Amino acid sequence: MSMFVIGYYAALITASCIAAYFQNRKAFMLLFSLTLVSFVLGIVGGVPALRGVTIFAGILALAAGTSYAFREFLIQVCSPAIAKELRTAPLTAAFGMFVIFTYAIAGIFAPWIAPFDQSEVIASAFEPPNEDMLLGADQLGRDMFSRIIFGARNSVGLALVATVLAFVIGALAGLYSAVKGGWLDQLSGRVADVIMSVPSLIFALLILSIFGTNLWVIVVVVAIIYSPRVFRLTRAVAGNVVVMDYVEAARLRGEGDWHLIRKEILPNSTAPLIAEFGLEFCFVFLLIAGLSFLGLGIQPPTADWGSMVRENATLISFGDITPLIPAAAIALLTVAVNFVVDWMLFRSSGLKEQ
Amino acid sequence: MSKYHNKSVLLEIRDLKIDGYADETWVPIIKGVDLTLRRGEVLGLIGESGAGKSTIGAAAMGYARDGTRISEGSIEFDGMELTTATSAEKRALRGSRIAYVAQSAAASFNPAHKLIDQHTEAPLHYRIKKRMEAQEDAMELYERLRLPNPTEIGFRYPHQVSGGQLQRAMTAMAMSCRPDLIIFDEPTTALDVTTQIEVLAAIRDIVDQFDTAAIYITHDLAVVAQMADTIKVLLKGEEVEHASTEKMLDAPEEDYTKSLWAVRSFKRPQKSRPEDDSRPVISVQGVDAAYTGGAKVLDDISFEIYPGMTVAVVGESGSGKSTAARVITGLLPPMSGEVLCRGEALPPRYQDRTRDQLRQAQMIYQMADTALNPKSRISDIIGRPAQFYSGLKGQGLKQRVDELLDLIELDPAKFYNRFPPELSGGQKQRIGIARALAAEPEFIICDEVTSALDQLVAEGILKLLDRLQQELGLAYMFITHDLATVRSIADEVVVMQNGKVVEQGAKEEMFTPPHHPYTDLLLSSVPEMDPNWLTTLLEERGVDNIGEAASV
Repeated sequence: MSMFVIGYYAALITASCIAAYFQNRKAFMLLFSLTLVSFVLGIVGGVPALRGVTIFAGILALAAGTSYAFREFLIQVCSPAIAKELRTAPLTAAFGMFVIFTYAIAGIFAPWIAPFDQSEVIASAFEPPNEDMLLGADQLGRDMFSRIIFGARNSVGLALVATVLAFVIGALAGLYSAVKGGWLDQLSGRVADVIMSVPSLIFALLILSIFGTNLWVIVVVVAIIYSPRVFRLTRAVAGNVVVMDYVEAARLRGEGDWHLIRKEILPNSTAPLIAEFGLEFCFVFLLIAGLSFLGLGIQPPTADWGSMVRENATLISFGDITPLIPAAAIALLTVAVNFVVDWMLFRSSGLKEQ
Repeated sequence: MSKYHNKSVLLEIRDLKIDGYADETWVPIIKGVDLTLRRGEVLGLIGESGAGKSTIGAAAMGYARDGTRISEGSIEFDGMELTTATSAEKRALRGSRIAYVAQSAAASFNPAHKLIDQHTEAPLHYRIKKRMEAQEDAMELYERLRLPNPTEIGFRYPHQVSGGQLQRAMTAMAMSCRPDLIIFDEPTTALDVTTQIEVLAAIRDIVDQFDTAAIYITHDLAVVAQMADTIKVLLKGEEVEHASTEKMLDAPEEDYTKSLWAVRSFKRPQKSRPEDDSRPVISVQGVDAAYTGGAKVLDDISFEIYPGMTVAVVGESGSGKSTAARVITGLLPPMSGEVLCRGEALPPRYQDRTRDQLRQAQMIYQMADTALNPKSRISDIIGRPAQFYSGLKGQGLKQRVDELLDLIELDPAKFYNRFPPELSGGQKQRIGIARALAAEPEFIICDEVTSALDQLVAEGILKLLDRLQQELGLAYMFITHDLATVRSIADEVVVMQNGKVVEQGAKEEMFTPPHHPYTDLLLSSVPEMDPNWLTTLLEERGVDNIGEAASV
């Protein structure tokens, strides 16, 4: 038996004993059941399986540690009011914030971080990783790592702009419908129904093949596809606020609609809207990645994660994981955003106030 | 207490301490309360909101609400310790041996099922009765609770019966397993005075008939005086005083109890209409109104409000009091008739009124929680009308807000930058008053401003309103169903029923007989502090027709 295996079991059993001694029931159950599972795993899979478990646990611990440190960092940096909220954030949310923060840095400082330009051909096609190229080269011999970094800027940036636009359109329409009611409400409601009744991907493909794959066309089309969802949510949330006495008081004071929306209704419906923003951002991001994958999104040679998956898809048949890297980047961001959104949803659901 | 002395102890709570979770720490809510309840005894728990009445009521079932925990003490129900009992054991008690009647029956019944199905749920679950048996028993209970058509009413859905009937059906449901203990958590607070009586009478009879012990939680002293054998007064999680009802009413010992008793004593002299030919601030003339597509809610309403006077508009819920206010403010344009302000006709829709016309009539709302924007600072809430109507800015605006805060007796330095959720109910209501004053109106509509407040706080608000009226010469339209409030503050009274004005006139006249029969019903339904009041009243009215009288 190798030293590794002996050390592995010794560490697990010691940790279980310590947890039991300090009466930490959850930690003990986790550690000890892991020990028991490891017996079976060690017999079936041998040393590599145990090594896999160790690496997985290590990564998990590293992520947890990073999240914890990052949360403490944010608490120190932010103003007292925000810091108080941040203290309630679970580690998953801190992890999400950390990932988003990393992506933002990558996107903003892409030209400085990336060693090569996104369209610069520096090697032969599909060259494996070496000390110049962290992740190897793509089908035209461009540096994969640089393209991932630039992709953060292009894909995320585009998704962000489209989501913000969808929110501006949807939220404004929703708020006005809630305040005005009557035919305006009916009209915007039916328009939203019509847009929602067309499958989003087909609608996007249709419009893009008519107007061509211009960046702005993509932004506007995606914004229009997603604004009805925002509209419906905003209308529902604002509908609950509009009936409040303070809105009636403001109306009787003679305030205009814009004041009602800005001062009375919007501040009281931001929480669900922010949570929805995170969710919608994921959907928009995936839609744009999907469009790029189909060749109707961001056009080459601009780096984009969706199209990068498609361009390198042939490598899959050779058992290479290169095309999965941009896909993983998409997945990680989606998961991260959802972690943060979950936390915000939990807060806005009012459970905290009780 | 003596009546029950020889009976066995049913519930014994010793040194109960309950913590609540707030701002990430546990703070004590109940700080050591003792309680002994014998079989058949009715204990009244009274105190302000936040005194921990309901928390103790829930604890008597061994239940700690979300965000609270029982930290110390023992709760012994019929020899069984509830603080250490498993949840399965406690579950077996609830519904069968301990029952609970909640404040809002409308919110507590499941709207998707018929009353009788919900009623028979517990007996069926505990295998006490077969379904048919349980249904027959339900009908018998309905009859005893004097519900109309006892054989048929159970097959209706909750929305098909009135609020008072629903509350009685809920009492019947609590009785379905013949429990040893029932906890009534403010069962009549949400009801009108006239409906309250039928529920009170029903509860008292049924508790007597089945010799059930009960804990009756309320903040209304007059109600508890009718129901309870002994009364326990709570203040901020601690017991203030505990004595038998008679003793408590005649000779309260503690100062706090005395102050509770004295609340209804505030009364100010009645003013009469100005002698000179000054015009009324608001004059409602022959107004009919209906909500879209509905039946008429207001039918030929006319009344006048003169400067510096308080006109109380009273009536049951649904009588059109608040609708009248909506017509005056312009939220609901009338079908016919008009509203005059100082002799000038106001445009029916508020959108068509000028800023100055809007400024004239301000409103104070019942629920201060929903009347103030929780995301606005106090300075913005009060400052906005001042800025909007008078065009004040910067230093001038700040000064005006300080002035208004002084006027409502809140310290500007402390409250200027705070948000409504940080304030208590009474403070919020004061901010609501300040917002109305900021517009410098001549006329304020007070829509049930005190009914959501505790009695001591409510009295403070009434005194404040009275002082403001004297200083600023305001006219009030005071919408209320609480005749005690009317007695203390009104100059003139308008009695409404089913959208019609039944009677109107100066307060003194209204409170001296002869009355209109409806006014008489309203007046005689206000609970009094005499413990025999309910018994006497029921004898006068005759037991059988009280439900009738109330549901007219």
